Amino acid sequence: MTSVNIRALLLFSAIFRVILILYGEWQDSHMEVRYTDVDYLVFSDAASLMASGDSPYKRTTYRYSPLLAFLLIPNAIIHRSWGKFLFSASDLLVGFFIRSILKLRRVPENLCTYSVMIWLLNPFTFTIGTRGNCEPIVCAVILWIIICLMNGNVLQAAFWYGLVVHFRIYPIIYALPIILILDSNFFHSGQKPFLSYWTAGHGKTTQSSTDATYHYNMQNVLTKIFTRQRVMFGLVSAIVFFSFTGLFFYLYGWAFLHEALLYHLTRTDPRHNFSVYFYHIYLHYEKEISVLEKFISFLPQFMVQLVLISCFAQDFPICFFVQTVAFVAFNKVITAQYFVWFFCLLPLILPWSSMKLKWEGICCFSVWMGAQIHWLMWGYMLEFKGKNVFLQLWMASLVFLAANTLVLIMIIRHHRYSPVFRHLELKSSKNSVKLE
Amino acid sequence: MESYHGEYGSLLDSDFQDFIARGLPSGLCGMLPDDLPRLSVLQQNLIGEGSHRLLSSSIRLNIEPKSLTKLPTHSCEVILIERLPIGVFADPFELQHLLQRGVFNNIAVFGDTNLELPSFLSNHSVVEVHMDVGPNLLISHKNGPYINIALPLHARYPPLDASGYSRVKFGAPDVFMCCSIEGNSPNQSCLFSPTGDGAELGSGEIVWRIPAGRKTHAEVVSIVTFISAIVSTLFIVLASIFYSKAIPYKTLKQS
Repeated sequence: MTSVNIRALLLFSAIFRVILILYGEWQDSHMEVRYTDVDYLVFSDAASLMASGDSPYKRTTYRYSPLLAFLLIPNAIIHRSWGKFLFSASDLLVGFFIRSILKLRRVPENLCTYSVMIWLLNPFTFTIGTRGNCEPIVCAVILWIIICLMNGNVLQAAFWYGLVVHFRIYPIIYALPIILILDSNFFHSGQKPFLSYWTAGHGKTTQSSTDATYHYNMQNVLTKIFTRQRVMFGLVSAIVFFSFTGLFFYLYGWAFLHEALLYHLTRTDPRHNFSVYFYHIYLHYEKEISVLEKFISFLPQFMVQLVLISCFAQDFPICFFVQTVAFVAFNKVITAQYFVWFFCLLPLILPWSSMKLKWEGICCFSVWMGAQIHWLMWGYMLEFKGKNVFLQLWMASLVFLAANTLVLIMIIRHHRYSPVFRHLELKSSKNSVKLE
Repeated sequence: MESYHGEYGSLLDSDFQDFIARGLPSGLCGMLPDDLPRLSVLQQNLIGEGSHRLLSSSIRLNIEPKSLTKLPTHSCEVILIERLPIGVFADPFELQHLLQRGVFNNIAVFGDTNLELPSFLSNHSVVEVHMDVGPNLLISHKNGPYINIALPLHARYPPLDASGYSRVKFGAPDVFMCCSIEGNSPNQSCLFSPTGDGAELGSGEIVWRIPAGRKTHAEVVSIVTFISAIVSTLFIVLASIFYSKAIPYKTLKQS
């Protein structure tokens, strides 16, 4: 009966998204304010250019891989909403993958369904795909990589990883945790890795057995660092990344390299956004930023990523999640679409969270949303009322950073750390996790 | 306009004035009947608040009432050339959207159309708008019919200013009337400017106040930003270490 619920949920979500896309088309042609995201029009224009044999980079502000324009060529041939249907389908696929991942770890059906609902019924989620934002595709690929790793398909995971880093750069932050979990204790060739399953355990008692099987010390890292899986993953993903990059450089030249890669790596947009750095960047825009300044601004990001990876790598869903939240929070530019990057990972960690909806969950949600709304209020005053509220807006972004930090700490605090993989040779030993 | 920009590559006011004085085909207009509309007062207003506003240009026409019905035979259009100051820009894609909705006859932007760069990294741009002068587009007014052209404009991030605001001043636009005359060869058209025909700018100088950052904030903002980033980092690092279950000494405690 509960499996029908999932199907009903997916069906309802699909129908709802179709309705939204149709409504969006109506709003675009009848109202001054468009439903469709400005970026979608950029992708569509780039796709039309590509369809007529031109470079997609002739469209200003097109800052993505040519792959995206290629995927949207049917926009010019079939109908301009093709892309929205594609992105919404990816969004549904993400819901399906979330369920698959949780089922692999034997999470009970009701928890699975609630977790999938967190994604599918999130207003942010269904508007992002139906408005024509391409992030759901990236999320779907990331989750597929997780499924491949859990099933032991290292080669496939490597292929998709190389592709997704070419497409959207930010998943490079997952490289180190993935390398760390490709431990020879967990992965043997020809054998699927053993997964640790979900338990209803409260407190820390179930942790001791998994901790005993997990020897994370420097000796292991040094002696076993170049395992077959690690080398294969690194090589294959690098080959895929450089192949696609090389192919598009050959086809589109420096325009591709500048717009799709270098722009994202060096982007310092002085226009107001959620990042704490925006006002600092605007105030110093006329001056050259010294190497020391660049280093100081990169240091918090670097330190946080390193510590989070060291502490959580083996439980890689939570590792990916906290890394992504921190990456977005400490980035030089933050736009609302970046939030999807961690929203798609949130359902993967909820079954292992001891946080109750009342009142910790509601408190976290309110603090985070409240800080955003507060920022948006000042942003509105600046952009639409023309008042000089730069200082207040900057302080609102400090509050938003504080909110992100608080929510991150709360999630870490309530998370039941459970490494995904179990040692292969200890499967039959008395130290292995008992299945309940 | 396109040929001017292509040939000269420069959008400096002085160059443009020379071009108008020398190059435009206004000779034919002198031979035309008096029932062609003449441009008179031009009024400009900046409508809206904030970084996205409308530059509204109202052009009053002097035309004999009986000549109104004759307009289709001399198909005339008003050409408005707005030279935008450095601090503002027009979004070509937005204008294309308006063109598709039939708001203008034709519209084009020349020069710096970068939508993202701040003011001091940007350059001039020019918008050329063509609007039909047909009886259905003329708005009736007690002082005579007029045409309204509303151009959506956006503010760039201005250079820092101690007062907290940057003032962007708009110059007067150039307005022309282009009519194609029937009877003679179909391509014959004339272009004339109201300058010297008694047209005047009815409104005062247009000034757009754009919020600007204050240099005095620079030091405090930088220091507090970096301190907050470091403090948040410390909290996250401490929480990770304290609450993480991957630390060896914790396993020793439990075993």
